[in-house]
Amino acid sequence: MSFLLKRLAGLAVVLLVASFLVYGLLYLVPGGPMAFLLGNRSGTPEQVAAIRAQYRLDDPFLLRYLSWLGDALTGDFGSSLVYRQEVAALIGSRVATTVLLVGYATVLISAGGIAMGLLAGLRGGRLDTAIGVLSSLFLATPPFVVGVLLAIVFSVGLGWFPVFGPGEGLLDRLYHLTLPAITLSLASAAFLARITRASVREELNREHVETARARGFGERHIVRRHVLRNASIPVVTVTGLNIAGLIAGSVVVENIFALDGLGSLFVRAILQRDFAIVQAVVLVLVTAFVLINLLVDLCYSALDPRLSR
Amino acid sequence: MIRRAVPLAGLALALAACGAGPQTQQAPASAAPVALDLKTSTAAAAKGLDKVTWNLPYEPQTLDPIRSFNYAENTALANMCESLLRLTPDFTIEPGLAEKADNPTPTTWVYTIREGVTFWDGKPLTAQDVAASLKRHLDPALGTWWSDYFSTVEKVEATGPMQVTVTLKQADVLFNQAMATAAGAIVSKEYAAKKDLGSPTGGLMCTGPFEFGAWKSGDSLSIVRNDAYWDKALTAKSKEIVFRFIADETTAVNALRSGEVDGQYFYLPPAGLAQLRESTTGSVTLGKSLTFWTLLSAAKDGPYADPKVRQALSLALDRAAISKVVFQGTAAPQRTLAGAEYWGYERATFEKAYQALPQETQDLAKAKQLLTEAGSPTEPITIAIQGSAATHEQTANLIKATGEALGLKIDIKVVPVEQYGNLYSDPKAREGVDAFFSTWYGNVPDPLDIYTVFQAGGRTNFNGYPAVDADIKKARAEADPAARAALVTGIQDKVTRDVAWMPLNNLPVILYMSDRVTGAVPSFPYLYYPWAVGLGAK
Repeated sequence: MSFLLKRLAGLAVVLLVASFLVYGLLYLVPGGPMAFLLGNRSGTPEQVAAIRAQYRLDDPFLLRYLSWLGDALTGDFGSSLVYRQEVAALIGSRVATTVLLVGYATVLISAGGIAMGLLAGLRGGRLDTAIGVLSSLFLATPPFVVGVLLAIVFSVGLGWFPVFGPGEGLLDRLYHLTLPAITLSLASAAFLARITRASVREELNREHVETARARGFGERHIVRRHVLRNASIPVVTVTGLNIAGLIAGSVVVENIFALDGLGSLFVRAILQRDFAIVQAVVLVLVTAFVLINLLVDLCYSALDPRLSR
Repeated sequence: MIRRAVPLAGLALALAACGAGPQTQQAPASAAPVALDLKTSTAAAAKGLDKVTWNLPYEPQTLDPIRSFNYAENTALANMCESLLRLTPDFTIEPGLAEKADNPTPTTWVYTIREGVTFWDGKPLTAQDVAASLKRHLDPALGTWWSDYFSTVEKVEATGPMQVTVTLKQADVLFNQAMATAAGAIVSKEYAAKKDLGSPTGGLMCTGPFEFGAWKSGDSLSIVRNDAYWDKALTAKSKEIVFRFIADETTAVNALRSGEVDGQYFYLPPAGLAQLRESTTGSVTLGKSLTFWTLLSAAKDGPYADPKVRQALSLALDRAAISKVVFQGTAAPQRTLAGAEYWGYERATFEKAYQALPQETQDLAKAKQLLTEAGSPTEPITIAIQGSAATHEQTANLIKATGEALGLKIDIKVVPVEQYGNLYSDPKAREGVDAFFSTWYGNVPDPLDIYTVFQAGGRTNFNGYPAVDADIKKARAEADPAARAALVTGIQDKVTRDVAWMPLNNLPVILYMSDRVTGAVPSFPYLYYPWAVGLGAK
């Protein structure tokens, strides 16, 4: 219990530091939201002054940050400068797409990556070589290339999948998100396969495995009890880190497939200096990151109780 | 009158990072002149459809008319909210929600509101609604994007149940013409007071042929037919138009080719234009346009402040090559900033003045001579371009090569997408920049709408061009078309000969429609005219 409490307190500190850093960095970057508030060439000096006052663009940095923090603590994340909508509403409508996309990709990465890694590690031989080549290919191909290729082949060419959009209703959404999820997961799955293969190989040669073999245990039993369990620690670590990275990494995929996710909202908000949105998305991302890591730690304790001491 | 909807388009490019720019070829020594077949209408639809899916180049920031001054916003808004006057697809201005516009004294415009028009909720349109809508432009806190047209407005009053009077501080013909754009769009009085007017939650209440349906932030915007629309000639054929917001060009092109999206307007040729042209499931139409590609001058000193240097560079430029290399053959070389589409009155006068101007073709010998006369400057000229924008980079490379051929040193300064907008608004951002590229458009068929940027002290007179200020003021106050045309051609002559800004190419509207649909307006007024009413099946 105290373990959980400590982690939650840590989360609060991380959130505070992250929000301060991001706010500060956005503040330092030249350029401002005026072009999005008044257009490029419209704007009389009186208008500019009125708008700057209305959005408190001229207040000192600390004052702006603190007033944002105060509002945020009471659950008010403010409204978007550019869209003049509540941030909560803007984010709320986009969270579902991102969560589903990341969840879908996680399943693909875990299932695909671990299966490929196990096959390569346990079977060896030609299959190992084939998987090695395949995973190199996946690792070396950036997602925007994969995405465009998949869309051209499977959507425009064969017409199996839609070109864009998140779809409606769970099944339709999953159907729409298939190509994006594959795009998002290929490189991570390949990476995970590599790690799985390496750690399985390492365990297979460890002394306790040889001892078990010498004592005449069946190969199945050895693999299950002595190899997989020990090999799973690095696999869980990599999976956890990968998933946390997916949330931010989904930006490119969301753009290629025109999905209304958090990633595209985030990048657009940064370019438009839309502070309220940037801050809120950062908080969501950091929270997700910390929570996933917490989950990974809990998995460690289950796999190897010594680690949680 | 501007526009560059670039920040988002640029962002999409940067993100997808596919670098799928049009293939850069070396400019041919002499490209054949481009003759473009530009349309103002497409084949009429035989019948309506239940649903047409249309793509916008990005999600509108808002549909609030006073802040709708950009491509996606106006493309959607034009079908819903009508203005006092109407800009037709062939660039004429006719009565809209105002039956007539009178000009009893030079500084008064009296609008008689059309009887029998109702809002979508059934309430009748009155002078109160019109006054409330126009007054929103006068409140600095609401932040209108149309302040250029409202800077001369003193007050707006409902002077009768169906009459609105606008009093100007000084006579201004552009104000009345602007009432044919979204600047003159009317929302109901009740909605005009709403804080979230035009947002996904606030919606709209107007009189147009389509009603605001639903706007799912980030996903889609749907508009549905208004069956009680007053103008029977413009009742919509199809029941519903669903706008999607695919910002990534490659994805948009794929969606169009696969038929998932029925059509889209492009303000710049997409990298995949060739694929669209060869598409077996749809076709590309080029439409007459008020948009042009230009090099804006910002130099107050140095070589580029010398008209002779600007003339030399302009004369040496191969505009046909720019069209071919940068715009994939979709742009027409221009000798003036405001082309023939702007001649909304006294066409003969403008035509004659245009013919008398130096041609837009290359003349290297004369260019070299002018440069010698200017003292063969050795100081470099700095041109700012927008990062990750293929049109900017490619045009800059062509101009740089042209300068080198002349013996003029040209430096390119890349400005990131998100800071490029500051060049327009912030003199500090323009320091050390002699010129920068922009797409630009006027909103009404009057060349004065363009040349008014050279008014002294104007926010867009970046290089402080001084020669035409008095004439612009006179022309804006001149109600008589013939007298105004005489003044405007005079202004055009000076501006063009001095190359105050360098005209490059006219940019036609690029309209793609799948074979499933036809009937959209292909010309520039689609930004202010209900272009989708004719949309339907072949």
